[in-house]
Amino acid sequence: MEKMRIRKFFNKLIKEEHPRFEKAASEDDLLKEKQIDSSLANTLEIFKKIYYVPNNSDVSIRNIVIGGINKEAAVLTINSISDTKLIEDLVIRPLLINDDESKEIELLLSPQVRKAHEIEDILKEINSGNTTLFVDGEPNAYIINTGNFQGRSVEKAENEVVVKGPKESFNEQAMTNISLIRKRIRDEKLIVESTTISKRAKNELYLLYIKDIANEEILTNIKSKLNSLNVDSIQNLSVLEEYIEDNIYSIFPTILYTERPDRASEFIEDGFIVLIMDNSPDVLILPATFWSFFHNAEDHYLRFLFGNFIRILRLMALFITLFISAIYIAITNYHVEMIPADLLLAISSTREIVPFPPLVEILMLEIAFELIREGGLRVPKPIGPTIGIVGALILGQAAVQANLVSPLVVIIVALGGLSSFAIGDPNLNYTVRLLRFPFLISAGVFGLYGLTALFTFGLFYMTSIKSFGVPYLAPMTPNDSTSKDTIFRKLLKNEIFRPGYLKPKDIEKKAGE
Amino acid sequence: MDHTKGMLGIREFFAIILVTIGTKLTDNTPTGLFNEVGNAAWITIIIMCLVSIIPIYLLTKVITSYENKNLVDIIYHLLGKHIGFFVILLLWLTETYSIVLSSAMYADIIETMYFVRTPILIIYIVLIGVAAYGAKKGIEYIGSAAWITLIGLNIALFVVLILSILQGRINYIFPIFGNGIPEILTEGTTNLSIFGEFLYFGFIVTSLRSINVYKKGIWIGLFYVSIVFMFALIGYVMLFDYVSIGNLNYPFHESIRYIQLGFLTNVESLFLPFWLVASFLRFSFYLYISALLFGALFKIKQFNYLVPSIAILIVFLGLIPEAPVFSLFNLREILVYITAPIFLLLPLVLWIAAKLKGEFKK
Repeated sequence: MEKMRIRKFFNKLIKEEHPRFEKAASEDDLLKEKQIDSSLANTLEIFKKIYYVPNNSDVSIRNIVIGGINKEAAVLTINSISDTKLIEDLVIRPLLINDDESKEIELLLSPQVRKAHEIEDILKEINSGNTTLFVDGEPNAYIINTGNFQGRSVEKAENEVVVKGPKESFNEQAMTNISLIRKRIRDEKLIVESTTISKRAKNELYLLYIKDIANEEILTNIKSKLNSLNVDSIQNLSVLEEYIEDNIYSIFPTILYTERPDRASEFIEDGFIVLIMDNSPDVLILPATFWSFFHNAEDHYLRFLFGNFIRILRLMALFITLFISAIYIAITNYHVEMIPADLLLAISSTREIVPFPPLVEILMLEIAFELIREGGLRVPKPIGPTIGIVGALILGQAAVQANLVSPLVVIIVALGGLSSFAIGDPNLNYTVRLLRFPFLISAGVFGLYGLTALFTFGLFYMTSIKSFGVPYLAPMTPNDSTSKDTIFRKLLKNEIFRPGYLKPKDIEKKAGE
Repeated sequence: MDHTKGMLGIREFFAIILVTIGTKLTDNTPTGLFNEVGNAAWITIIIMCLVSIIPIYLLTKVITSYENKNLVDIIYHLLGKHIGFFVILLLWLTETYSIVLSSAMYADIIETMYFVRTPILIIYIVLIGVAAYGAKKGIEYIGSAAWITLIGLNIALFVVLILSILQGRINYIFPIFGNGIPEILTEGTTNLSIFGEFLYFGFIVTSLRSINVYKKGIWIGLFYVSIVFMFALIGYVMLFDYVSIGNLNYPFHESIRYIQLGFLTNVESLFLPFWLVASFLRFSFYLYISALLFGALFKIKQFNYLVPSIAILIVFLGLIPEAPVFSLFNLREILVYITAPIFLLLPLVLWIAAKLKGEFKK
């Protein structure tokens, strides 16, 4: 309360008067609510006005006369998002060549034809690439599915690579993505619910869940969050993620983001809810726990021992990335006695010529590493390898030779940096990379004491995070006896329960027995 | 949609018990025992454990006969408004006194053993600050954090114990009864305050998933802690012998300085983080209980908002004693003699009151 008041006070102090803009397109909004009337000329006038027809070059209106019944008609479509050949075959040709006077228009067209008379509905169809046929003397329009958006085909997963297991990944078309999931879950209870989440761009969002497994409470929670959105446009899931997150400022991600249909299906079958949108080569899975970020699709594809082996490796990588440079700082600054004498001499001899304190040295190199990584990511492909060579070889070597950093520090930072790549999830990856810096600083200020203090602080924080009501570290704590897939995976035959923290309607994975 | 509704399960409860009482073997509690009974200190722990069974049994009996009531409600219910208030005030005072003492001691340990050049004020602020953050968050998060770290803490502790027993001398534990059986018996009962915290677990009983969690947790906790404590005391005496150990204020930290782990000759910094995590958790729990009791005294429902103020108070009080190594030791003696009777008598009084009121017949 007090915080809010203070913030309001300061906001008042620094507030500037912004000119208020008149809301545009109010006339259009009024038009949209109307229905079309039976006069073709009138209708066309309205649509030309809405689409600014002569200026809007890919909106085409084609006037025809329907053969047989001799009625005037017009076909309205947006060329760039519809299949012209399909329109020709399904709409225009059958109408033109008809010679039966008694035949109804609906029968002339393809079987998937629908009628609509609200202008708003018709606009939605046209904007989705469908073709609209207006006929003189009829107060409704015929809609024929001809949408054809351009996109890429199903390709290999690029970010979540596995050696053993399926390689398909989602692409930018929601329907393809849903089909990829349906291919894996042939269950009539798999529901694909669609809602419109933005006001102007009318972005469509699909919620996927299994009706008799997913928990209703979580579902209503998510739906109410989605319905409360009031924005003009949400282009894709990456943007949506921020709108529906619980803790926007938190360093820990609370919604899982995956490009693998097999992973998404696995989560759906466990009672999670998946969000799919056009233009997103991935899906959002919620609620997400820490473990879902930590896990990888391959853990379950590899044999039991090997799967757990890579889990251990990943855990080690997590700790190495977080702590190795901080521990180096802590030990060299505060706990020198811990290092065996020979190693200590080796370290001090390499550090002798470096003019900076260890903290500065490590920070410099860590930042350089982050820069190389960010640069390498954004660099256009043809120059990519050059950056790699310059960054890794020349920079590191030259820095050592120029006495800017000691070789040991290069090893430590490189080890930490490499380990961070073992954490596959992009969100958790950023979390870990960012967290390194506070740990570094705390180790620089207080040695192992500061490091531990920050760690405990973070632990308290982590246990208190909730993702859509689910504790972040469940099922490890609060403990849940149903699923034990946390650090290590269990034998598949022993994983007989769905995660209990989701309160699924059907907790057991096996039916009967 | 929280599956557990923020309730502690048996694991979290067990972890809290271990962290709060188990960490005592790392401060100067063992020194007091060694001073009085020599190398038989580990036997006193057995005596203590056995004696503690009575009050804990009575307390559990009283608590389990009520549903959805924690010890505060029960005390008010059984002893009436005024006496209840007085009893809780007494508990709050001893509890807060013990936080001040032990936190000052822990800050002193950190300063004297590891960070000699860092001002104690800063160490103290960090220690209580982190603990206060956890306490402010609530008991379920303290429990969760304790459970997550419990495996690490236990492994670290057992490595220390095994190493000190391996590197110690077996004949240091003889004569097995140290200064004699009478000393063991008297010290065993007067030093009961080591297990005095078991009283506090009654206050969080409404935060547990079920009463069974309390019943099971408290017994498993008591026996586990006693066993660990016993082995720790054996380990210390095997490393240092009983004369010198009486002069060591913080035997655990001296032990981890003394032992070697393969090619690593100085391993104390290796174990420091684990001990620190346990300490942070311990003070989180203490602060939480202190705020809970204060809230119970003055009818403050959202007592977690009290934590920051109590934390600041504790830092200032804890900084008062000069030469903490000596003063804290003596101040702790007073605490020991106050807490032991409370721990022994309060459950008995509650049990008699409950019996008279006929609560057990229901």
